[in-house]
Formats: sequence, structure tokens, C-alpha cells
Amino acid sequence: MKASATNLNQTQIAENVIDRCKKGDVRAFHDLYNAYAAAMYNICLRMTNNVSDAEDTLQEAFIQVHKHIGKLERDASVSAWIKRIVVNHCLNTLRKKKVYFEDVEEVEVMAEDGIDEAQFSWTVAAVKSAIHGLPHGYRTVLNLYLFESYSHREIAEMLGITESTVKTQYMRAKEKVRQIVKQQNVTR
Amino acid sequence: MPDNFESFIQQHRDEFEGPGPSPRVWAALEKDLTEQRQGRVVQLLRKNWFKAAVIAVLMINAAAIFYFTGHKRHQQQELSAISPDLQEARTYYTTRINAKLQLIDAYPANELGLDSTARQELQLRNDTYKALEKELKNNPGNERIRAALIRYYQLKLDLLDKILEELQDRHAVPGHTKKQYEVEI
Repeated sequence: MKASATNLNQTQIAENVIDRCKKGDVRAFHDLYNAYAAAMYNICLRMTNNVSDAEDTLQEAFIQVHKHIGKLERDASVSAWIKRIVVNHCLNTLRKKKVYFEDVEEVEVMAEDGIDEAQFSWTVAAVKSAIHGLPHGYRTVLNLYLFESYSHREIAEMLGITESTVKTQYMRAKEKVRQIVKQQNVTR
Repeated sequence: MPDNFESFIQQHRDEFEGPGPSPRVWAALEKDLTEQRQGRVVQLLRKNWFKAAVIAVLMINAAAIFYFTGHKRHQQQELSAISPDLQEARTYYTTRINAKLQLIDAYPANELGLDSTARQELQLRNDTYKALEKELKNNPGNERIRAALIRYYQLKLDLLDKILEELQDRHAVPGHTKKQYEVEI
């Protein structure tokens, strides 16, 4: 089953699923898992960069979802709540792998001379491959901003760094992706 | 304003999504949740083992008390229900026998000239009496047993009377016995 990122917020779960989950109904929790597992797994995969870590992180995240579902308020967004738990677990997995997020000096990142985006084609496979090859720090910021739609401020809070560092890291990550995709176009 | 790269991502966002996780994730998750639930029950019992033990003992005691009191009440009801007329006779003879036993017991043991076995035999509820009572409970309608029990009371009374007479004769102040005897006549 393929996840639909754009429709995540509209993911439909039966009205009483959350109430049943809160009462400890495992079948209801399975329904909840089925509704969100694919989208959340894709977040884990983008963040951790490998299948094994992604699956382990997803499992740990859903254990926390199960444990704390009683605290979920009736009017809260289920998808946003689960997504935040999943993202936090992804960041913990990265930290366990000694990935540190540190403030960097704010510098203006200029597009490398000679990169004319109009002259090479963007493809999903090329971008995926380029993001996959980014250093952990760049990839994390880029994923959270571009794919998970968190603001620079929210990302700064999650990573414990300044908002300006997030912006700089993001600009550098984008530039790096451009270079990799350009390189792929040249060698093709 | 989004650049070419950002625009490309927005336009192709869904294409960046792959398939979901393998079934092993849910299998592992379900196993974890089951263990957690079992763990919670064990933890709860471990935490409150003393309370659980006290409750268990109280329940056992309550059941035992209920059983024994119920059983005893049932037995008593059974005796009075079996033979109300015999109950009357028993009250009558028991009162008289106990009164005579009290008089006999007032004499020192060496005066009686009876050993402990013989003295035990004098008591109302001796082995013969217990055997007869048991038989009556098992065969409430048996007239022979009822008659034997009445006969037992009568013989016991006669025996106690004879012993008392002998004791009184032996310890009577001269003249007193005669006077009393004359009064009785």
C-alpha cells in the first residue's frame, strides 16, 4: 500500500476508533495502524535513510502512540499527533547514531556558478538519490521542511538549534541536491 | 517564492511516497502490546500481593465459617425436627441426672471408691449414650433405638440413686438418717 502524503490530514478512520483504542481495543489499534503506517513509515525511511532503522523506529513510535493515546484530546488532529511522535523517534534514532545538530555561522549560500536548472531535468528518482546522499544534518532539515511541512521555527525547536541555523542548513542542503542532480545529468 | 527545486517537489510530492512497512512491524508491535498487557497484570499482582493474599485468606475464612455454622445449624434443626417428643424426655432426664451427678461429685473421689474410667462412665454423655444418639440420627424413625435411649436414661437414674443412697448411708449422722427416713415415709 502506497502512502498519500498530501491526503494524510484527510486520512479517514472510523469515528469510534480512537475511543476504542483508548479503551485498549487491539483491533481498533490495528485499524489506526493500518490507516497511518505507510505514511509514517515513509517519514521514517526518509529520515533514517535505511529500511531496518525505519521499521524499528516506526514500531517504537507506535508503541508510544498506544501508550499515550489516552492523552489525545478529542478535537486534536490524530495525524499531526502521530506524525510528531514518529518524527521525534526518528530524531532519537539519529541521535543514537551520533548525529548532532549544532548551530553554524550564518552565511549566505550562493548558487554555484554555472548551474542552470533549465538545462537539466529534475526527476523523482534523481532527487531521491540526491537526498539519500546528503549528510544526516542537511537531510534532516530538508526533509522536515520540504516533505513534512514544518516551519523553520518548529524545526529549530525540535533540533535545539537556532532558526537561522535551520535556514542556512536548508539552503546548503538544497544547493547540495542541485549539484548532485546536475552531476547525474552530466554523466548521463 | 519557491524555486525550481521546491516547485518540482510540490508538484511530484506523492511520487516520493513508497510502499508501507513489511508485515513484520505489526507482528512485532502486536507481540509487544500483548507482553505489555500481561506485564501490567503481573505487575499489579506483584505490587498488591499482600492485599491479594489477605483477601484470599478472608474469603477462605468466610467460606469456612459459612460452611461450618450452616452445617451445625442444620444438625441442630435435624435433631429437634427428628423427634420433638424425645427432646422433651431428654430434657427431663438430663436435668435429673445432672442434679444427681452434682450431688455425687460433691463427695471426695476416695469416698466413692471408683476409678476414673468408672467415674467417666457415670457421666451423662458416655460412650453408650453417644452411640445411641448417633444411631438415632441415622435412623430417626427407629422405635427400638428411641426406646433404648429412654431405657438408658432410666437405668442411669436408678444407678445414680443407688450410689447416692449408699453414700448418704455411709456418711449419715446417726439419728439424722432415721429422722430423714421417717419423714420420707
